[in-house]
Amino acid sequence: MSPAALPISRTLKHSRFDRQQIGVWLFLGPCLLYLAAFAIYPLIYSLSLSFTDLTAADSTGNWIGLTNYRDLLLDPLFWNAATNSAIMVVVSVAIEIVLGTALAMFFSLDLKGSWIVRGILVLPMLITPIVVGVMWRALLNPDWGLVNWAISRIGLTPPNWLGSIEMAMKTLIIVEVWQWTPFVFVIVFARLQALPQEVFEAAQLDSANSFATFRRITLPMLMPAIMFAAVFRAVDAFRSFDLIYGLSYGGPARSTTTLSFFSFQNGFQFQNYGYAAAVAYMMLIILIVGTTILFRYLHLRPGATR
Amino acid sequence: MKRIAAYLTLIMLGIIGLAPFLYLALLSTKRRIEILSQVPPNLSFSWATISKTYTEVLYSQGMLDFTVNSFVVVGAATLLALIIGTPAAYAFSRMKVPGEQNLANTILSMRFMPPLAVAIPIFLMMKSIGLQDTYWGLILPYTAFSLPLIVWILIGFFDEIPREIDEAAVIDGCSHLTILRRIMLPLMLPGLVTAALFGAIFIWNEFLVALYVIDSRSYQTISLGAATLVSAQRPIDWNIAAAVGVVTVIPIFIFSLLVQRYIVRGLTAGAVK
Repeated sequence: MSPAALPISRTLKHSRFDRQQIGVWLFLGPCLLYLAAFAIYPLIYSLSLSFTDLTAADSTGNWIGLTNYRDLLLDPLFWNAATNSAIMVVVSVAIEIVLGTALAMFFSLDLKGSWIVRGILVLPMLITPIVVGVMWRALLNPDWGLVNWAISRIGLTPPNWLGSIEMAMKTLIIVEVWQWTPFVFVIVFARLQALPQEVFEAAQLDSANSFATFRRITLPMLMPAIMFAAVFRAVDAFRSFDLIYGLSYGGPARSTTTLSFFSFQNGFQFQNYGYAAAVAYMMLIILIVGTTILFRYLHLRPGATR
Repeated sequence: MKRIAAYLTLIMLGIIGLAPFLYLALLSTKRRIEILSQVPPNLSFSWATISKTYTEVLYSQGMLDFTVNSFVVVGAATLLALIIGTPAAYAFSRMKVPGEQNLANTILSMRFMPPLAVAIPIFLMMKSIGLQDTYWGLILPYTAFSLPLIVWILIGFFDEIPREIDEAAVIDGCSHLTILRRIMLPLMLPGLVTAALFGAIFIWNEFLVALYVIDSRSYQTISLGAATLVSAQRPIDWNIAAAVGVVTVIPIFIFSLLVQRYIVRGLTAGAVK
């Protein structure tokens, strides 16, 4: 390369670099702008609402600072909802993890026709949660529901699924587990299928019994998938309220009112926009902490699909 | 013996998964009085009853219109999200994006955003720009809801296309736009379909924003319609509720047949390392 050509090539490189940068923002810009307008801005809007006493009836609302948050922390209903959320999320996710992993192990037996059942098991998690709630209200109906009929048939007394304060949360968890265990199953199963077979064969040669093989070899290798499924499920269970809307509407006596349902009731039923926004923001803070942990421990990469 | 036990377990699992849907479908074929008196409901069907219930649900209760509305809103939002999301996913996969990891994580984290936190602001926004009670009042926010999911699914599919293909094109002097349009898009068809279907399912079930934004029956979506018809706060006609459930579930059954192959990637959007 002649000395004279050097500066030219440098400027060329420089301008190409600039053009590349412009290209990146042309490709990414619409997406980022769109999310800024319809996701970030509403979130900021929501934060500012949480500092007001806005209701549906009055259209302006006054700035009341942290009053909503103070009221919230003193509100026994908020703590009731927070407790219910914690119970619902922890218990249902724990059960889903155990059952989902068991299902994955079971399906790895590769029985004939098991693909049909796998297809069936995918359905519940795609169905509108309200419809799932209504469906189970029918199944568990105290007067004519199929489940109670079956339980009475074998000579037992069916519990008051949705009518009693002690039972309603358990029922909610049962339905949640029915709908979402397949999610854990699908993810853990995919991971299980991808594991190298040699490891299991080696274990077999060492005549390790099957439970020991599972505990010492399979489970540790499944752990990343299990953790991933657990965090996804926990976040989604925490933020959803539509299953409750269809199943129990938070009752009886607020025994199934979780934080998300509590926020929904304040916002839609009582039209207390400021207060509802404050509840939602408390949830968001919990969620941000949650997803931060997700990214810290799970090492998600864009496109790390394989 | 062990094998028989395994097959019995398999059949039990199939029943646990499917029976609730079949029971719902069965209830929708009965008259209101039969639901209360026939326990369990028998398998004799009366065509007149079925057609009466479904006529009422589809026409008088408006579920057919709601289904059409859902297809319009979800279809438009998904298309819009694909148009905006595809170049973004391409940039993450193939270009040098400053702060790539943080930016991608920020976008993904929006998939976890609780609709509760944004429903009221979105409602107030749509009201102030005059889009309350219109299709656009739902299409605009729904696009934002499905966009993060769609971008993440697409990044995964872009990453699977061998880099040699577009490197050759760069040497031939093609711009990124040409590479994306002429070379990548044809190869991305399964990815686009997967992203579209999962994005669609994600917003198909949404009803909170719709509850705020939509007032009149003429723009109600299927999940909002179902929510108002079968809400747990009042006593309901069970044959009608069951038929509403069946009508809501059928499109999702069809979706699920289409996505079987890609179910893991769609659900995890990003996935397991």
